This record gives sequence, structure tokens and C-alpha cells, in this order.
Amino acid sequence: MSSVPNNPLTPEQEESLRDSLKRCSPETITAAIAFRNQGDNSQAPMVIIGIIERFCEPDVRPKLKEPGADELRVAEDLGVDSLTMVEVVMLVEEALEITIDNSELGDLRTIGDVKTFVGYKLSGEAMPEPAKNIESLEIPDIMPHGDPFLFVQQAAIRGDEITGSYKISGEEDFLRGHFKDNPVFPASIMLEALGQLAVLYLLRADDEALAGKVDPSKILFTSCDGVRCSRVCKPGDTLSMSVKAKKIRHPGALFTGTILVDSEKAVFAEEISLKFDYAEGTVVAQEAEGESADKPAAE
Amino acid sequence: MPRVAITGLGFITSIGNDQATVCDSLRELKHGIAISPEFSERDPIATLGTIKGFDTASNDVEDWTYPEEYTVRREHIRSMSPHVLFAHCALVQAIKDAGLSDEEVSNRDTGLFTASAGSARGIHYNVERMNSIGIGRVSPMAVVSSVVGTLSFNLVASFKIKGASGGFASACASSGHALGYAFDEIKLGRQKRVFVVGAEDGNREAILPFAGMRALSPAKDPDIASRPFDAARNGFVGTGGGAVILLEELETAKARGAKIYGELAGWGQASDGYNVAISHPEGLGLAEAMRRAMASAEITPEQVDYVNAHATSTQIGDLSEVKGLNKAFEGYSPLVSSTKALTGHGLSLASAMETGFTALAMSENFTPGSAHIETIDPKIEGIDVLCESREGAPKYALKNSSGFGGANVTLVLKQFTGS
Repeated sequence: MSSVPNNPLTPEQEESLRDSLKRCSPETITAAIAFRNQGDNSQAPMVIIGIIERFCEPDVRPKLKEPGADELRVAEDLGVDSLTMVEVVMLVEEALEITIDNSELGDLRTIGDVKTFVGYKLSGEAMPEPAKNIESLEIPDIMPHGDPFLFVQQAAIRGDEITGSYKISGEEDFLRGHFKDNPVFPASIMLEALGQLAVLYLLRADDEALAGKVDPSKILFTSCDGVRCSRVCKPGDTLSMSVKAKKIRHPGALFTGTILVDSEKAVFAEEISLKFDYAEGTVVAQEAEGESADKPAAE
Repeated sequence: MPRVAITGLGFITSIGNDQATVCDSLRELKHGIAISPEFSERDPIATLGTIKGFDTASNDVEDWTYPEEYTVRREHIRSMSPHVLFAHCALVQAIKDAGLSDEEVSNRDTGLFTASAGSARGIHYNVERMNSIGIGRVSPMAVVSSVVGTLSFNLVASFKIKGASGGFASACASSGHALGYAFDEIKLGRQKRVFVVGAEDGNREAILPFAGMRALSPAKDPDIASRPFDAARNGFVGTGGGAVILLEELETAKARGAKIYGELAGWGQASDGYNVAISHPEGLGLAEAMRRAMASAEITPEQVDYVNAHATSTQIGDLSEVKGLNKAFEGYSPLVSSTKALTGHGLSLASAMETGFTALAMSENFTPGSAHIETIDPKIEGIDVLCESREGAPKYALKNSSGFGGANVTLVLKQFTGS
């Protein structure tokens, strides 16, 4: 796939492009023409967001202009279902002259994912590994935490980052007292939720810094610094969490974490520190495993 | 056994897009037929029953315009063909007319049955695009917006229908079948309410092919093109549109204080087993459908005051129906009229639309006449064709419908007396 167009648009091509994008904003059309004429890849996000906007219902369109739009979930927040996504892709392909396979779309959950994806497409570089979803039903089995103190319902790992979410149901027992007749999700529990997401990272990520399998019973939350809470979270809100590994060196692990609700920043934690240990025998077992795997074939 | 009431009506038709206009057209015999831009000089026909206030000519749904009292979200309109939009608006009307809440529309006891022939225009456009540009540039909505069934897919999703749903395909008897089986669904206690929806695109692709079988009127004068029972009738005039009838279990309707247009008291069907497109010349199947319908409603032929005929204005079809009427009524004739003189023939839409007209006339205390008859066909004997609308509503009325393959459906409507 060539990323930079060889030739500027002919008047006919430009007219056809304008016609295809006629229901997009004028900025989108200008950006698409600049992209095609000057090979200006920096215009691509504008074109893509403009095309997604065109397929959204008018009442959700303003969300795309707000800060934090990259965090918007394409399906849940914008109402773009998988068939609408096909419409988006068809028009993006036409506007940017790129080809996108259906199989590439499955992992694009947020506007940010879409932008990143197209950025890689245009640069011709290989996409980083797609986010690895952890099945919601598996999470309680993986985690040392359990009901009523598990605050991660969905999670996905990409590179050194784990994202996850928790919907405040209002049934949480502590909300009866925090506060009386005024349920507010405690900030301390939000930090706990970020900590739990970091635990899940240690248990599931393929991080080179981890030399063995982390033992779920040997992880402890040790400290948290640089915390800012900026939004009251209530029943019905969904905490969109993200935790990034800053430094992992056994037995310490350092993360940063953020929580957004409806694209609005709720919590930021600059440093979340955990202590962990490996399950017995797993550090040296990596090579031993390889050997033992070969053995049956040899026998 | 449960009784079945008609408690909501919605019309997007060539003779009006609301009840008041439709009622006035039926009383005053104002037709909705016009020379249509869907046809060219080269075509052998010129007229259509046209839908006013809508422009669905473009293949791009986002170009469409429709009356401003309706708002259709993009997520809904994107998978529509023209008839689905007509029906969508008619359904909005019927729900409002019946005074149903969102919960009363969306629950396990409320269903929706449909009848339409799909969208020949939509299928043609998409298949043409697929073959010339490639499937990668065909809208992901191509299938759901155009195949037979699109009416059900769209309305069930947009209106969040959770009860029974499905479509009927027996050509011009389709929405009669839909009404009949919806009636059964309520009688059997399976549903409390069923919306019955008939709709057709009524555009060039939907109508002109009938000229290939010489079934359409070549008349250029909209005032006389459709004239069932007239000696000079020379084919039908096509029309599109959407009509919705809400059937509701009587006690459920009464409990919520619903307005009741009339009752659907029974129905019957029988097939000709004769020809793929031509109705039996002696009207055997239709006669049997009428007998069965009256038996189902437990009434005698003499109790029937009015028949809203299928009569489409073709030579063979109208006579066949007359013969069927003579057989079913044996020496007695109720008043007979065909409202297709005003609307044109709505194909899958026809039975639901005309059942709606009959129910409306019943509740407004009149009987609609058969327009445009200058000289009644001398071959019509023993049948009392009503040429002008008249005051006074029938106590019992039949609605006849006949489709290709000789499928015949008769519905029995009964005036609601308050108990």
C-alpha cells in the first residue's frame, strides 16, 4: 500500500471526492483534498473524524469536538454499530485511497484506536499488536479479588497498557454509608480499582520485565502518589480506566493510572506501586518447560 | 374466546396522509391519481396513485424528504426503501391515534405483521452496483433495505417490537393474510395486540412490470384511469404508500379506554388452484373465501351490508369477483364498491389500506362509493354497485382481496356497538 499519493487530484477526481464527502463538514472536505494533493498525512485524523461524525446521529456529534474525544467508544458512546462502521470504512477508503480489511476493524474500540490504526496504515509501518481482550467471565477467576471487592469488569491489554472498565451499579454495599442518602463512589475505591487493573496486568501481560509467572497471592498494593480526583462518580457511571506500566523490576512494579467517565477526567494517579513475587519454580521453569515439551516427542 | 377490535389506523396513501384527508376523499370521491414522472413518453402507461409530501426518488436515502411532523433517525432511515418510510410514518400515526405508550408498543404481547413485495428499485440499484463497481462499494444495508422482509426488519427494530413478527407474501392478498393471521394470534391468546402493516414503493420498478402482462391501464387521463366495474375499464393504476391497522384484544382495549373503530369479526381464505396470475373466471376461490369468512364471524349473507371489493379495474378480475359475489350471496346483494377507483391498486398494501378505509367509514358513519363509473359493465348482474358514497355505516362489511396464484382472503368487519 502506498501512503503518499503520486499525483494531485484531477478536477474530475476532486469533484468526485467532494461529492462522496458532501455530507461531511467543509473542514473534512478541505482536509481530504489537502491529504490527496499534498500527501499531507497529518490531515488524516481530521478526515476520519469528519467521516465518523457524518455517520453519527446529530445529537451525539458535538461529543467529537469536546476534549477527550479520543477516549469516546465508537459503539457505546457514538452509537456506531458494526454496519455503520462498514459505511465509515468505505468512505475512509475512498477519501484516503487506502484499503482496510474487515478483520482489522474488530479491535478498534475508541476514536483514538481508529486514529492510531489509520496512522499506521498511512505510514506503512506494521501495527503494534492489537489489544488483547480478557474475557469478562475470566476476570474473577484470574484475580485474587472477588465479589464484593472486585472492581474490574472488562479489560484489554495492549503493549505496556491495560484498559478496563467498571460500571457503578448502585448495589455496592458501601454506598449505603458513602454517603447517607447520597451514594458517591469513594475515591479510595477508585484507586483500589486502578490497583486491581495493575494486578491484572502483572498476571496477564507478556511483559519482558516479568521473568516468570506472577503468583496472584503474592501481590500487594504498597503506595500511591500524585493523586488528583476531579469528578464525583455516582451509580450509573462507567469508570473507563487505564493503567500504564512505567517500571517493572522484581519485586517492584510502578504504574500510572487514569479514570475517565463519559470522557471526563475523574481520577489521575501519577504513581501506583505494587510489590509482587513469582510463583514458585516459574522463573527457571521457562526453559525447563521448553525441554519438557520436547520430551514426549523424543520418547 | 377473545374478540378483536380495531383501535388504531395510520395512512400514507395517494388519497391522504392523515385520517381527516382520507375520510374526506372517501366521502367526496376525490382520487389521488396523477400523471407520474416515474414514466416516460416511451412507456405505455402514464398514471400512478401518487404519494404527496414525500420525495424518495433518489437512491441515496439521505436525499429523501418527508413531511416535517415526522423525524426519522439516520440509524433507521439508512436501511429503508421508500415503502418502509411510508409505513414508518403510518405506524407513528397509528400509535399516536391509538394513544399507546412506549411500553404498550414494546412488550412480549404486542406483535407486528407486515406485507410488502420488497423494493425492486433497491435490489436493482445494489445488484447493478455490485456487478459494475464491486461488492466492496455496495452499502452494507443493501440486503436489509431491499429484500422481501425489509418492512419487518426495519419496523421491528425501530419500534422495538418484542412480540410476534413476520411478513406475508401472497401478492395482492398479502396484507389480507397478515390481518387474518394477526386476528388468529389474538384469538388464540398468543398476543394482545398486533400491528398489521401493508406497504409498497409504488414507483416505476414496482409498477411498470405489470404493463408487461398488460394489466395496467394505458389511460392518460387521471380522472378516469382507474374505474372498477365500468364497461370501459382497461386495467389497473398502481400505487404505493403505507397503511397500518392496530388489532387489539377487545377487553385489553376497553380496559385502557381505547377508541374502537370496529371489530374484526372473522376471516376466511381459499385458493383457486387454477392459474399463476389470472383469477378463476367463475370466482370459485373468492366465493369460498367469503363463505368461510361469514361462517367464521357466525353471520348469514343477509347480515352483510357492504363489500369493499378487490376489484382493480381489469376486465377479467372484476367480472370474476362479481361471479364470486353472486355465488357467496345467492340472490342477495350487499352494497359493493371498490375504493381502488380513488387510490389505484396498492398490491401488498391494498388489503390493509382498504380494511382501514372500511373501518374508518364505519366509525364515521358512511359507506364509500365506487368512483368513475360512467356506464356500468352490462355483464355485471345481480350485484348492487354503489356509485356514490352515502350516509350510514354498514353493520357488517366484507373486505375481499385476491392475489397471484389465486390466493383469496375475505375479512369481516363489524360495527362496534359499545358492548
